Amino acid sequence: MSPDDPAVTAALRAVARDAGLTARVHATRLAGPPGTVALDDAEPVAIASLYKLPLALVWADLVTAGDLAADEPVRLPAASRMPGPTGVAMLLDDVVLTARDVVRLMLAVSDNACGDALLALVGRERVHERLGALGLPATLVRQGSADETRAILRDTGAATWAAAQRALADPDHAAETSQYDPALASAATAADLGRVLRVLWAHRGPPYDLVRDALAHQAWRHRVGSGFPHDDVALLGKTGTLGRLRHEAAVVGFPHEHPVGVVVLTRAARPERYLPGVDAAIGELARIAVGPLRLPDDA
Amino acid sequence: MDLLKHLGFFRAVADVRHFGNAASDLGMTQPPLSQGIRRLERHLGVRLFDRDARGVRITAAGRRLLPATRDLLDAAADLVSTARDLALPEQVRLGVAADLEDGVPYLLRSLAADLATAPSVELVETSRASATPVAPTVAGSVEVVDLLRDGLLDVGVVRHPGVLDGLTAGPVLVVPTRLVGGLDVRGRDASGRQPALADVPLPVAVPPRHHQPPAHDQLVDALRRAGHGGDVVEARDAAQRRALVAAGAAVGLVPVLPGAPAAPGDPAAGPAGPPLRLRVALPLLAQRRPEIDHEAVARAISSALSPEPDPVARPSQGTAG
Repeated sequence: MSPDDPAVTAALRAVARDAGLTARVHATRLAGPPGTVALDDAEPVAIASLYKLPLALVWADLVTAGDLAADEPVRLPAASRMPGPTGVAMLLDDVVLTARDVVRLMLAVSDNACGDALLALVGRERVHERLGALGLPATLVRQGSADETRAILRDTGAATWAAAQRALADPDHAAETSQYDPALASAATAADLGRVLRVLWAHRGPPYDLVRDALAHQAWRHRVGSGFPHDDVALLGKTGTLGRLRHEAAVVGFPHEHPVGVVVLTRAARPERYLPGVDAAIGELARIAVGPLRLPDDA
Repeated sequence: MDLLKHLGFFRAVADVRHFGNAASDLGMTQPPLSQGIRRLERHLGVRLFDRDARGVRITAAGRRLLPATRDLLDAAADLVSTARDLALPEQVRLGVAADLEDGVPYLLRSLAADLATAPSVELVETSRASATPVAPTVAGSVEVVDLLRDGLLDVGVVRHPGVLDGLTAGPVLVVPTRLVGGLDVRGRDASGRQPALADVPLPVAVPPRHHQPPAHDQLVDALRRAGHGGDVVEARDAAQRRALVAAGAAVGLVPVLPGAPAAPGDPAAGPAGPPLRLRVALPLLAQRRPEIDHEAVARAISSALSPEPDPVARPSQGTAG
């Protein structure tokens, strides 16, 4: 199938419908002749933890420009951290990391404490300025993880994060939160995030290598990765998850082929936290979108 | 001046060349017709007819204006008849998820009663001629959602959860269910224990998965969670479900509605099953037919399906950033 074949978008829609998803997909070849597969990729959606990807790109830019040092120590005191499910955010004691290790944890395990610390280190103004210079929308990084968590606690009226998660996952209520709203949360279109991947892959140099290496170390492979169950296929990715939102921006590297960036942004009809069928559908959407873009790199 | 009405006078007189006959064709008397023609002549600034002893003759100017007059009147008649074709019956076009099965007639009866007594529902006042204020369509939820989006339905009762992009939806209505048939109830009675889902060795007859895939998958997960194997048989409709139950090939899963008695064909009730979750889905505000009071219909459906409103206030409603 060629990338423009209407059968490709029809197949994407069929998978989304079968899985009970609203899906936005953008796949793009990151080297070689340009090529794109898209499904509703101009619709803005709340991107949850995917804000960490453009944030890492901006950090790499600033390190390359000499504005920030990669090995700068960053203090993450326990008292000022918003608790989260992974990484430093789930630890109990004070932590000091270098900036580049903050970036690694933020990307590899979606560490919320590291996301907030890096956003504070770079500064929101500077993030927006750099995104603008790269031709990317400022909405990509509207807020950090702590702001997101606070908004969800407020919206659900829950006292704890666990209670808020239960409220969002309640099958007997259609719980809403401002954090599903692209007008209020960090937001982007699938095409915007495809552009983030293109920019990241267009840059050479140690800070960008560090970001790419952290993406290659992502601790899970259940979403986009489930569509590529091949040990020799490299997968670099970043997920974003919040309630019914399940996203991933990834780069798929088949040996001897041009790398293909693929962004899958989904909102499930089902509210439950664990939906392996939906994660598998994201893999299927990625596989269908990447397929027509595969091209040997000696062509 | 009502130009179309007066042009109608002009055409009538021009057709029969006689004021008295034209007046009777128009169902009026001659003096107002003559006055009307004079008013039109003043308005247009030309004489349309010469009246003399030999009768009524159309003037040269009148002859020139007659074709345009006919075109205008024909166009106006076309417009009215097209509009009449476009006007939908002032019935609520209601889509109901087929999953409600025997609850569908119950829902429609209580809806008819509720809407007939609700003075806020204007359609009842204006459509006394029609027997029912509701035109029902029973279909799979995905189809109901598509019909709502395409403007072919006004209100939908769909199974939750499902994708509702481009629509608005009310709170989740939780309808209890029970299993029917295929159970060795007597054996369980000996042990003094009610049979549970985990004791059901047969597959469960359910609506086709494509009717609402996420709700179907959620049901299968709930069956497994309760200890059932999760095997299901997709039955096209309630008749097929009853046939499967009667043949001992499956157990049925039927909604239990407060005012709806068990269907006569159904065997005695077994254990409770996972609940049937529904939502009332409506088109976005800008796409609603103004002659329908969508909110009143939605309220009536909610009170029929879920008579005791959930006392738990949901702080998640109406969030702000």
